[in-house]
Amino acid sequence: MKEKIIVINNETGIHARPAGLIVKEAQKYKCDIFLVKNESQYNCKSIMNILSLGGKKGDELLIRAIGEDAEAAVEALSRLLEGNLDA
Amino acid sequence: MLGLFKKDKHKVVLIKAPLKGRVMDISEVPDLVFSQKMVGDGIAIEPIEGSVAAPIDGEVLQVMDTKHAIGLMSKEGIELLIHIGIDTVDMKGEGFEIHVAAGDRVRTGDLLITFDLDKVRGKAKSTITPVVITNMEALTTLEKSLMSEDEWVMKVTIEG
Repeated sequence: MKEKIIVINNETGIHARPAGLIVKEAQKYKCDIFLVKNESQYNCKSIMNILSLGGKKGDELLIRAIGEDAEAAVEALSRLLEGNLDA
Repeated sequence: MLGLFKKDKHKVVLIKAPLKGRVMDISEVPDLVFSQKMVGDGIAIEPIEGSVAAPIDGEVLQVMDTKHAIGLMSKEGIELLIHIGIDTVDMKGEGFEIHVAAGDRVRTGDLLITFDLDKVRGKAKSTITPVVITNMEALTTLEKSLMSEDEWVMKVTIEG
């Protein structure tokens, strides 16, 4: 299992378009990938699940990946989430 | 195209148009995240009035804080996202009114959201409203109808 804490950087938080980008990236990996907020776990391969997290700018989230390519997945997802998701 | 023959184990679900207006394929939406089906497959509607009705019988999964999008789950297990306009997140809820809350049961035709169509026209990139199935992996087949005279916009089969 790999974990990393990140902060959401984009102005509008995790709405439909960023959620689409997150799921597209997560689906490239075999491992299970989650975002964890207030001890609730949200599946990065489910749009509706990621939307229900209600992520806002400045929120601190934990990325958690479990499986063979977990390290690469956490790296890719943290780059995406800390970059500009609105671009 | 697919799935005209109903198999015993499969349920056929008709998804109605949640808004009045011209229906198009999701690939025509002027936003790559939607047109490339990153959110899911589906259709989009260019609305002629600012009113969104439930396209299925089911439950409200969630309403975005900014009131421009709503997630639903049909009683058969289909997840639907209705996203009013493109780049409407920047309107921060202004001009939108939500009539339901997460967890509410809804029936086809129930009013979900009303919005000021002129305001969306003025402030957002487009009024085109994607209606997208977000759990495509749960479906067996998906058929679309872009003819507004049809009773449904999507016909889905799902394992029952």
